[in-house]
Amino acid sequence: MFGDDVRPEEARCRRAFLISDADREGLAACLAESGAVVVEAEDGEPPGGDWAAVMVPPDGFFLSLTTATAFSLQLAPLVGATLASRGGLGDDKRSVVEQCLQEAVANAIIHGNLGISSTAKDHPEGFRVFSQLVNSRLGDPELRGRRVELFVRWSEAALDISVADQGAGFDIACLPAEPSGRSRSGRGFVFMRALAGRVEVADGGRCTSLRFEL
Amino acid sequence: MEFQARNLADAIEARLTGRLEFTDHDRLRDIVALLDGPNLRRFVVDVSGLDFIDSAGLGMILILQEEAEQKNIKLVVRGPRDDVKRSIDLAKIGEIVAIEY
Repeated sequence: MFGDDVRPEEARCRRAFLISDADREGLAACLAESGAVVVEAEDGEPPGGDWAAVMVPPDGFFLSLTTATAFSLQLAPLVGATLASRGGLGDDKRSVVEQCLQEAVANAIIHGNLGISSTAKDHPEGFRVFSQLVNSRLGDPELRGRRVELFVRWSEAALDISVADQGAGFDIACLPAEPSGRSRSGRGFVFMRALAGRVEVADGGRCTSLRFEL
Repeated sequence: MEFQARNLADAIEARLTGRLEFTDHDRLRDIVALLDGPNLRRFVVDVSGLDFIDSAGLGMILILQEEAEQKNIKLVVRGPRDDVKRSIDLAKIGEIVAIEY
């Protein structure tokens, strides 16, 4: 699903990293490499999936993490710092990009891979139920091992970020176009649509792509 | 996100620092528990020390508002700045919750 807009001749510089026990510093060091492909291992082995076919340009990177790791790492500021250090993002756009990425990653983890509906909060004591659901599903080996994948590439004109998950997807037609008072769902997409230059959803709701004009 | 609570004359103030985001639901329970204080009329959530809030964090503010309303306690969100102010304004949270800038 990723990489259709990257020509093979642009993707020669990629370096692949298979990492275990990912921490912020180790991840940041891998992502600092031109055209990095960074994949979290499963029991020391490369995971399945189509990550090996992703075409990454020098000004870009691909990152595949388990849900458990993505939940624990605060990915948005990590990616923002990586982009800033690699020249893909200036200070003027950084907070906007991090805000949108935060919303896309949160959706991928909570609603996608952990399969928790926003309606879990919509009744008395709902937030306690929601919190218990998050913790119990992060303890499920199948769910915590699902992938959150980021494909990031940039040019002088634009920054493109795609965030994909392995959940059941969703119907984008159900999302609100505007903030609606006390509504507890869909606000993340309202943010993304307001702040990003373009927001696209593909693969039945499993992949959100963001474009920012630079 | 981290928070510290302190008692004011007729209120409790919870001062939040760091990032309030989707991974913080466990901590929300501790903040909601502050609403059980005796003779409480106002609950101030000081967000001037917050660097970031996402849509889930805004949802937590709305949960606090609902919990406070049920107990006839006035909720005030104080001091949003920079990215936090942008998010609160974008989501029109001020239409529901009292914001002191």
